[in-house]
Amino acid sequence: PMTPITPATPASESSGIVPQLLYAFKSRKIWNKNSENIVSTVNLGCKLDLKTIALRARNAEYNPKVRLASIQITCFPPLSSEEQSRLAARKYARVVQKLGFPAKFLDFKIQNMVGSCDVKFPIRLEGLVLTHQQFSSYEPELFPGLIYRMIKPRIVLLIFVSGKVVLTGAKVRAEIYEAFENIYPILKGFRKTT
Amino acid sequence: MASTSRLDALPRVTCPNHPDAILVEDYRAGDMICPECGLVVGDRVIDVGSEWRTFSNDKATKDPSRVGDSQNPLLSDGDLSTMIGKGTGAASFDEFGNSKYQNRRTMSSSDRAMMNAFKEITTMADRINLPRNIVDRTNNLFKQVYEQKSLKGRANDAIASACLYIACRQEGVPRTFKEICAVSRISKKEIGRCFKLILKALETSVDLITTGDFMSRFCSNLCLPKQVQMAATHIARKAVELDLVPGRSPISVAAAAIYMASQASAEKRTQKEIGDIAGVADVTIRQSYRLIYPRAPDLFPPDFKFDTPVDKLPQL
Repeated sequence: PMTPITPATPASESSGIVPQLLYAFKSRKIWNKNSENIVSTVNLGCKLDLKTIALRARNAEYNPKVRLASIQITCFPPLSSEEQSRLAARKYARVVQKLGFPAKFLDFKIQNMVGSCDVKFPIRLEGLVLTHQQFSSYEPELFPGLIYRMIKPRIVLLIFVSGKVVLTGAKVRAEIYEAFENIYPILKGFRKTT
Repeated sequence: MASTSRLDALPRVTCPNHPDAILVEDYRAGDMICPECGLVVGDRVIDVGSEWRTFSNDKATKDPSRVGDSQNPLLSDGDLSTMIGKGTGAASFDEFGNSKYQNRRTMSSSDRAMMNAFKEITTMADRINLPRNIVDRTNNLFKQVYEQKSLKGRANDAIASACLYIACRQEGVPRTFKEICAVSRISKKEIGRCFKLILKALETSVDLITTGDFMSRFCSNLCLPKQVQMAATHIARKAVELDLVPGRSPISVAAAAIYMASQASAEKRTQKEIGDIAGVADVTIRQSYRLIYPRAPDLFPPDFKFDTPVDKLPQL
């Protein structure tokens, strides 16, 4: 028995809130642990000596124990648009070039986008997990927020009691907005009245 | 002739003349008899129940009428395996005094891992005195997960611990992750991960934990009298109803409620003691306590006898 894919949205309502995109991750070979940073590993089209790069480039960390051999490159401030992240990746390719590797800029792809917003009212997570069991996971012992896995679009939302919502897993900006428009009426239904 | 009829014995044999008739089993003769016409349908039916009653306890190891261990059909794949027993007589020993045919050990190799896990589950449950029904439920869950193979890469102990956690939740007596951690070698993180994976794999869900689930256990461990326990339960419930502690884990709220109730009674407990029992840090108790302290007079049950009046409660 298939469960409804997306919660129904009344056509008339629009939330009027726009999620703010925080960061865009592009990660293919590079593995990003610190979410504040942009991970950039486009396919540079050549073999890299990771250790050399890590030692000689600023803002680069190399963790050989991590399964994916990669370099983490940190950028400040966090990038707020797709174009900026592409620029940063290009700059990095340049850095690697200067270090003597014949780097090229191939296959730049955005892998993940994260957005956050505030619905400005407290939310009854217990009610939400009761009615949306198939999508929600709320374990206060493990994490204070409710983890909502929306199926269409395939986005994971972290919903907190304060009303703050974090959306992640999107490949394009529109998915974030669509997911938020889907969840907003549901959250309104679980607004705390006191 | 006393007989028991067993519906689950039906699948294979029915009376040819009366296919709808429920066959009656006569275990003494090993027959299955059609009640309509009296035809003996099954012959030499093996009784898979427990063995004959033996009264003498002394020669427990040498019971010659036993044909094997009592079957555990729910869990293992059926205990139909043959073991080579210890030898008797001189011929079974070779020159050095070792027994020939040492191969006693391989039995039900396909489910060796599962039986190992059951043993581990029983050990874990024993450490925190869990009743048999929880252990059985855990075993069932483990078997389902194991057969599904969706979590095959995970350590069996991790899956077992997570199954134990789920079983406690399903039986209405949840244990905190930390309590399960205390009897398992697996980290809380891994148990949490397996827990979520198992819920996904078995397509079940569990009820949300509430403060009341833990009151009796925590209060007993702190040797608090029943009135204090009831007061703490009341305080925690009211605090959640009045939404004084949004976003706080129910365990922390329960711990703070116990602290408040115990401090108002003759049996005072320190935050550290409560924190040790509940598995929360004492700063966490302090945080939650600060949130419920302003409404303290409203939270206590009406018939509570105060040893320390409400206004003298410690203010942190």
